[in-house]
Amino acid sequence: MSYRIAKNLDSALEALKEKDPATRIVAGATDLFLQEMPARLVDVSSIEELTAIEEIDNRLVIGAAATHARAAASELIKGRAAALVEACLQVGSPQVRNIGTLGGNVVNAAPAADAAVALVALGAKAVLVDSSGVWREEAVARLYSSYNCSALDGCTELLVRFLIEPCGQGEGSAFRRFAARKALALPLANAAARLKLENGMIASLSLVAAPVGPAPTRLIGTEAAILGKPAGEETWLLAAETAAEEVEVRGSLLRCSAAYRRHLVGILTADALRAAARRAAVSQSGSLT
Amino acid sequence: MEKELIKFMLNGEPVEVYNDPASSLLHLLREKFSLTGTKEGCGEGECGACTVLLDDLAVNSCLIPAGKVNGRSVETIEALSKDGGVDPIQEAFVEKGAVQCGFCTPGMVMSARALLKQNPDPDPEEIKMAISGNLCRCTGYKQIEAAILLAAGKINSK
Ligand SMILES: Cc1cc2nc3c(=O)[nH]c(=O)nc-3n(C[C@H](O)[C@H](O)[C@H](O)COP(=O)(O)OP(=O)(O)OC[C@H]3O[C@@H](n4cnc5c(N)ncnc54)[C@H](O)[C@@H]3O)c2cc1C
Ligand code: FES
Ligand code: FES
Repeated sequence: MSYRIAKNLDSALEALKEKDPATRIVAGATDLFLQEMPARLVDVSSIEELTAIEEIDNRLVIGAAATHARAAASELIKGRAAALVEACLQVGSPQVRNIGTLGGNVVNAAPAADAAVALVALGAKAVLVDSSGVWREEAVARLYSSYNCSALDGCTELLVRFLIEPCGQGEGSAFRRFAARKALALPLANAAARLKLENGMIASLSLVAAPVGPAPTRLIGTEAAILGKPAGEETWLLAAETAAEEVEVRGSLLRCSAAYRRHLVGILTADALRAAARRAAVSQSGSLT
Repeated sequence: MEKELIKFMLNGEPVEVYNDPASSLLHLLREKFSLTGTKEGCGEGECGACTVLLDDLAVNSCLIPAGKVNGRSVETIEALSKDGGVDPIQEAFVEKGAVQCGFCTPGMVMSARALLKQNPDPDPEEIKMAISGNLCRCTGYKQIEAAILLAAGKINSK
């Protein structure tokens, strides 16, 4: 058993060079520690490049090892990608948020991981580098291969940062979830929306709900049903109905029935849209929220 | 089980220990340092009884691999009564009757300590949020919230 704290990107990649299946990247360890721990761990949570939250060339750049607590407290993210702040604020508990990271939330690949759902709705891209130093960019939604299984190889490939186009004038985003308790409960369902308004009409839209498939899932049918429609109660109700019809959901004996989850997806979708539209309207009138 | 040298600051003192880096900080504290004030409730991040401060932030010591604390600073409930005295947070818990069986208390006090370090003048909502990762099966939380509010007052009037 070895535990190495990587000081920089190069030393983390060096440690992954062997392509040894017993070597694994770890960040906050809030997911990994409760699973079977691999024999060799490379802790990436102290690498500066992976923890920075900044705006570069009008893009929001969020290190993969930024914790939920830091993302939730970031004024930069709040003003440009409010859905992510809302999602991070609802993860687990203060203790879990202080150590759990956005990158871990995505690579752990739970289908309804809160930050991941917001990232997908915001259209976030992930920047990855492998142990031979080859970089690539991939939409966050494409980092899932099956239920609870990431398309990323945690033994050879490092998620370095997320890139998000900030919400501009007339744009807004929001995240909503429902869980049995307000803290320390995984969501029964969650939803996130990003939209742009022009003259009070929905000019563009990205709508995501989970757990609907292995990855946070775009609600393509609902998006099509309300695109071009006025931002208002009638549209949000139509979205709730269409979303509840559109999704394929599973129920579970312990948590909730499929019918209840379907109902929740509808309600959460409408709530997220309503809040995103409110933010879009405020941003049009000048101030960012 | 291979052991590694782990060096860190523990309650203000530099310490070194050979330990399995993949065992939990909770077990390291209790078994190697005999700091048994930190409690194990669930062992999986759900109850907060094991809360300690890592570089001044509240964390669940049951979820932290021991190797992670290398080069960092850990504070446990024992730090509050180091010179035999009682900390204002502990005083306030006693005065407000915020302790019944006491099993959650060290974790609650450490969450309160993390909050007051960051925000010396919290409002009741901020207090509730700060202890939302700590379960108490006895008190019903009201006395704990009142105690933290009182503690903030005590610390600020010093
Ligand atoms: C009590 C409790 C409550 C929780 N509640 C919630 C909740 O409400 N909502 C929610 O969404 N989640 C919740 N979680 C899950 C967990 O906290 C989050 O998924 C967290 O974001 C994981 O991040 P981490 O840094 O701890 O990941 P780790 O455990 O460090 O890693 C998880 C996986 O990702 C890989 N990995 C991590 N970082 C990288 C990287 N940069 N590049 C490549 N691979 C990487 C690891 O190899 C591992 O496979 C909870 C967990 C606990 C213990
Ligand atoms: S023992 Fe750590 S949270 Fe319960
Ligand atoms: S006093 Fe008994 S659990 Fe809190």
